[in-house]
Amino acid sequence: MSIAGAIGVFGVVYGATARPVLGVPLTILASMIVFSGTVQFAMLALLTAGAGPAAVLGTAAMLNLRNLALGAAIRPRLPIAPVRRVLLSWFLIDETVGLTLAGDAADASPVLARAGAASYVGWVAGTILGVAGVEVVAFEGLAAAVFPVLFVGLAAIMARSSDLVVRGMVAAVAVLVIMTLWPALGALTPITVAALVALPRGQS
Amino acid sequence: MTPVILVVAVAVMTYASRVSAMAVLPEPTGVMLRYVQRLPVPLFAGLGVFVLVGDPPAMPANPALAAVAAALLVAPRRSFALVLVAGLSAYAVASLIW
Repeated sequence: MSIAGAIGVFGVVYGATARPVLGVPLTILASMIVFSGTVQFAMLALLTAGAGPAAVLGTAAMLNLRNLALGAAIRPRLPIAPVRRVLLSWFLIDETVGLTLAGDAADASPVLARAGAASYVGWVAGTILGVAGVEVVAFEGLAAAVFPVLFVGLAAIMARSSDLVVRGMVAAVAVLVIMTLWPALGALTPITVAALVALPRGQS
Repeated sequence: MTPVILVVAVAVMTYASRVSAMAVLPEPTGVMLRYVQRLPVPLFAGLGVFVLVGDPPAMPANPALAAVAAALLVAPRRSFALVLVAGLSAYAVASLIW
């Protein structure tokens, strides 16, 4: 539920920000059928900057590449029928993957289902509140704090070895440096850095 | 391409990537499995920094920095709830101060 609350806060910010660009119906529809904060904020930024459909679709494709890795990581924890995996894949987002992988249960599908459903409700409800005109200034400040904390928590519960702790720290520093030096890379930065930092070391 | 079609196309791409990983592509084994198991921690750590500094990057507000500092302080306990409580408590206190 804490994840759903945090996602809801970000949803409010998204709804308020997207409303002037997409309009009320399309802003809500986007949250209902895309259900990806990273992709939706990137799409919004590109449309605001006047980018065309090709740029939006290309960026979405790049950002969605991480779903292939996250899905592959979570799949051994889902010993269920393929049809159920297809249905549960709707809930494959960064936050639900973190919670699902953090547990010890052999079948983590109930965790994914509960966390995913709560996150989905939080995201859509937050978007609706945002487009409805909820005072967004307070939420912007809160969102700026909640999401970094959320990702610290997700990284913490998954860092089961000193090797993973080091990799996490290296990725954080690398993203900070790259964002400072080449901010144009935007949302691709953490994905690219993670893909590189997760590579096997020389001796392994 | 109308905005509606663009949003639907993005949704289809997003869901297709999720389904591909969860049900279409072969389940990873061996080296690939170990690689994808290492991926989430650096990804979440990087995303944490990314959302903290923003896009385009800027110096975060003091309450956000305080929240992250408190979260990092308790992170070695590896308790998700504790990290959230510590971070949000620090945010609340820092908001009162600044």
